Amino acid sequence: MFTTYDLFNNVNNMRHVLNNFFNENYTRRTADYPYVNLYEKDDNIEIAVLAPGEKVENIDLQLIDNSLRIEIDKKADYKDSPYIRKERAFGKFRKSVMLPYRVDPDKIEATMKNGILKIKLVKAEDAKPKKIEIH
Amino acid sequence: MTAELTKIKNDAYKSDEYIIVPSVDIYENENEFVITAEMPGVDKDGIDLTLNNEELEINGKINGNLPAAENIKYEEFRLYNYYRKFNVGDSIDSTALKAGLDNGILTVTLPKKEEVKPRKIEVKVEH
Repeated sequence: MFTTYDLFNNVNNMRHVLNNFFNENYTRRTADYPYVNLYEKDDNIEIAVLAPGEKVENIDLQLIDNSLRIEIDKKADYKDSPYIRKERAFGKFRKSVMLPYRVDPDKIEATMKNGILKIKLVKAEDAKPKKIEIH
Repeated sequence: MTAELTKIKNDAYKSDEYIIVPSVDIYENENEFVITAEMPGVDKDGIDLTLNNEELEINGKINGNLPAAENIKYEEFRLYNYYRKFNVGDSIDSTALKAGLDNGILTVTLPKKEEVKPRKIEVKVEH
């Protein structure tokens, strides 16, 4: 079938774009790195990483100087069947998070729940401010 | 204009109405369709599945267990409820629906009705 260019098609497209601008639905973009949030309160840092379905043994956390390296090896769970949709991303993800101050390497806690990895860090004793006495 | 639009969009982003469409993988084999959806932040009680009028609706209510938002220093993601709808047609046996949630990954198994499953046809060789 032949189709002719119709200006109103484009106008309709434009309307679609505008309608979707305020639409409340959106999809998380697939990125080459895991999404990370960093929270800080007093002397505690909490990092939340979006890692759905990740096995603990495939997550590698390393404290290098004052940054935390998060490496996730997300293995594809594809079955040997025809796929109708493939939207999820797999592969090796790596991200370094710069910490606002040095942390105590012995007080790092990492837990995984419902696909969210949470890492709790505490400020290092020697990074805390010290009062200097004047004699 | 751009600043206004950004503001409106940011306000919309803050509302509770905001919904995330989870990314899915769907495969099919002889007996069933299997949907795998990424829904981090949802626990077992937050999942609500309905199959009605040949439409499968997936609802995921997030369990807000992130630290308090006022302490945020660096943000790349936010948690919102999930919703997605699939048109599954009439070949699904709605009584045998199965679902499982493991560490933020929802797996929904939709078995096919007996009459749509592939059948082996015997070929007779006539001499």
